Amino acid sequence: MKAKRLPLVYPTASFAGLLFVLGTMWYAASSQNSPAVYLLLFALTAVFLVSIPHTLINLAGVRVALESAQPAFAGQEVSLPVEISNSSRATRHGIELALSGSNRDRERIDYIPADKAARMTLRFPARRRGEHEIGALRLTSVYPLGFIRVSKKFASAQTYIVYPKPEGDLQLPSNGTSIPRNSLQAEIGEGDDFAGVRAYVSGESQRHIDWKAVARGQPLMTKQFAAEREGFVHLDFSALRFANVEERLSQLALWVIEAERARRPYGLRLPGTEIRPAVGQVHFHQCLRALSLFQVGTPGSA
Amino acid sequence: MSMSRSKRDRSIPRRPLLWLAAALLFTLPPMFRSLAIWVPCLFLLALAMKFWMEPRGYRLRFAIFKLMLAAVAVLIIFASYNSLKGIEPAVSLLVVLISLKVLEAHTAREFQVMVLMGWVICLCGFFLSQDFAAALCLLSAFALLLVALIQFHRAASPGALWPPLRTACKLLAQAAPLIVLLFVLFPRIGTGFRFEFRDLRAAGTGFSDRLSPGSIASLANSSDIAFRAEFPGSNTRPIGPMYWRGAVMWHCDGMEWRVPYAPASISRAPNQSPSGITIRQRITLAPHGARWMFALDRPFETPRGAMLVRGDYIRSVQPIRKTRRYEVVSSPEVTRNDLTPYERKEALELPASISPAVRELAQSWVAQNSNSRAIINSALQFFRTQGFRYSLSPGEYKKDDLEQFLFHRRVGFCEHYAASFGTLMRLAGIPARVVVGYLGGEYNDLGDFFLVRQADTHAWCEVWLPESGWTRVDPTNIVAPGRASLDLNSFLEGRIASGQMEPRRSAFLARLARSAIFTNIRLAWETLNYQWDTRLLGFDADVQDVFLSSIGIANHGPYFLIVEVLAIAVVMLVIYFGWMQLRTRSRVNPVKVLYERFCRKIACLGAQRHPWEGPSDFSMRAAQLLPHESERIRQISNTYISLRYAPEPDAIMLDTFAKEVSAFGR
Repeated sequence: MKAKRLPLVYPTASFAGLLFVLGTMWYAASSQNSPAVYLLLFALTAVFLVSIPHTLINLAGVRVALESAQPAFAGQEVSLPVEISNSSRATRHGIELALSGSNRDRERIDYIPADKAARMTLRFPARRRGEHEIGALRLTSVYPLGFIRVSKKFASAQTYIVYPKPEGDLQLPSNGTSIPRNSLQAEIGEGDDFAGVRAYVSGESQRHIDWKAVARGQPLMTKQFAAEREGFVHLDFSALRFANVEERLSQLALWVIEAERARRPYGLRLPGTEIRPAVGQVHFHQCLRALSLFQVGTPGSA
Repeated sequence: MSMSRSKRDRSIPRRPLLWLAAALLFTLPPMFRSLAIWVPCLFLLALAMKFWMEPRGYRLRFAIFKLMLAAVAVLIIFASYNSLKGIEPAVSLLVVLISLKVLEAHTAREFQVMVLMGWVICLCGFFLSQDFAAALCLLSAFALLLVALIQFHRAASPGALWPPLRTACKLLAQAAPLIVLLFVLFPRIGTGFRFEFRDLRAAGTGFSDRLSPGSIASLANSSDIAFRAEFPGSNTRPIGPMYWRGAVMWHCDGMEWRVPYAPASISRAPNQSPSGITIRQRITLAPHGARWMFALDRPFETPRGAMLVRGDYIRSVQPIRKTRRYEVVSSPEVTRNDLTPYERKEALELPASISPAVRELAQSWVAQNSNSRAIINSALQFFRTQGFRYSLSPGEYKKDDLEQFLFHRRVGFCEHYAASFGTLMRLAGIPARVVVGYLGGEYNDLGDFFLVRQADTHAWCEVWLPESGWTRVDPTNIVAPGRASLDLNSFLEGRIASGQMEPRRSAFLARLARSAIFTNIRLAWETLNYQWDTRLLGFDADVQDVFLSSIGIANHGPYFLIVEVLAIAVVMLVIYFGWMQLRTRSRVNPVKVLYERFCRKIACLGAQRHPWEGPSDFSMRAAQLLPHESERIRQISNTYISLRYAPEPDAIMLDTFAKEVSAFGR
């Protein structure tokens, strides 16, 4: 991404301290008519002034490239992987990156050598479900003296998805057509008997993660337990009787996770959308995405 | 490329803390010289403690505890200075509070504050001492604080020693022209309110209004600088010995002489200006807190802020608390041809009690000789022949020990000879007075100036002769021939070398001090000192005014100057920025440029490359879209990939690639 406009230069909080020190020196020098103190005053002033172009140049040739953010559930953190590249011929120091508008969550990279890139992850809370634009990023730096901050704005049209927060009190419904109980394969679900492991699905309970495997350096796995197999289930928006649309979506999101964990085929019915029953990662994310993007006022909603 | 979250702010990183400590160590020497000894010690202790506490996570935690410590500090400061007013207690208080802050600071964010406080300590240091050595320490501290700050912002970047130092040097080098510009041109607007420092140290120098036995001999080992003198204009250096006139003493008390309590000012009529050679001197006088000013024997033009006093010497109107620079013109031929009856009476006044033996001695000379010159010669002959010795440690004399000195012990330093000679002359009826000042001075050929130390303090006599007026007679010269043409240290070294005196230092040190290298280093150091004192410390608001009017921009007013200076500064910053931009701008990669040109060409044919598409994916897609060009597309893409990802791009291959790209699409 290229910077949108000219960089912005503004004083940091410690600039006030510097001003105070310079003022003290000036007062002392002029009241004593002391050339030595004037020398100190002018040295500090000149060094400060010279540091401004140094700070400005510290962002020259530094670019930001966004990668796609993993979807997150509302209430969790969105992690946005970012690559910051330095195409200049000098090492750049103390590069900080923040979402435009939030000053607190600044990520910092101590240095990027010439013609190299560094990766960082920008984390910010996922507040509401839906598809959000990342908007603008601010690349800032106070190097070398920290009295002046230079800030460059990078605009991005990239979006990220926030799934509804999975919550609700209702049990996973057992409606839908039963699958004939003739299957020989192991039934996997919330049972008591250990039946192996599978990849962890983001958003599901951490209770069944195989932490011992994690400790051995393996990826997150969920322990599965065998239980009685049930038929596939239709998760129907209009079947829920809550007044609040968000509550309904949250309940549906929870059910999607539970059904996926139980490897029980599930379909989703939203007003205007129907997803046929299936299991698996693609299906799982397709359902959550549909819940996330659901608009109130779509025909048929309660 | 280590990454760190800005929220991680629990401790002060070690590397910048080390730089900070190094910087603060440089602020200590001026403190040790002028503050109560425990203050810099406490500061040092706090720094050491910080390094012990920081890795363990200890710090001053409770506000009540901090307040109590601060209150205790104030009490101790009051106890050691008996006052909280004045510069020393104020600086001590600041240093103690900063020590507490050092112990208390625990977040990285406070580091910036600590560096700012370091700069305030530099400022305090300049209040304590402004000589060159102190300034060198404080400016080093200033620069090291800069390094500490840069290191702090570099955080985990590789290199803890040289890279931050280099950045700091670069900043300072780029700031240097700006510093000069600001220093020379930026208007020194006064605040209108001056606070005077009670200077505790100025009273310590040796020159006083009283000449008592031993008062000058006690200064013989002092290496403090009294003043430095330049002779502007090439041919006007004095030919004979340099007698620097400081004060004239009229009041005689045997071995002790004194300056009149209120020296009357005199004015010299213009027609009295001497006909012979005149010597112009530019003198840089070290502050001494009194009103003494010095000039070669004898001054006839007074500098500004000084007056010519009866006895033909100059005296400052105000006490001299800061280094003072003045020009004065002297002529060896200035005399007054009249002696008023009052002066004659004063110049013949005798102490109340004079021992008969001394009176007899003077009378015997009068009886033998008829004219004054012959009497003086008899007296000098007496000193020459009666076994008088010149010594730095002549033992103790009281003010009425004249007889002891003249007949029994016969050991003395210049003040003994001058005082006794003056008294003897008065006894013999010749009006006499004692002059104190300095004799000689060490010439520094690097800086072309004379350095006069407190050790060169000297006393001599003047007698009134009807035909030539007040005439200088230096009895010390009889006892210690050669002293007058040298400064005291060189004279003593010469005597030690010829075995006339026992060495003052160990032989090794003496040899070292005489060695050529050491002498050259010393002369160079003194030259630097002199340049600092005159060029830099001399450039105050008044000198700046003179300078500005000499280059013709004084009458524009201060705001014009500020705008002008700031405009030049902005232009300079823009030039720096442009220069750095030019030096660090990204290298143009010819392979990439050619490939981008190829992409533009192929886009015109209808195959637009997506930003996320790699070159091989794109070539496959483009080849499908443009089947008749597929062979060339594949060819160009393959060449590009091998050129782009080869460790060392091949020149011939690059040439082929350039041809292929330019041929493409035709």
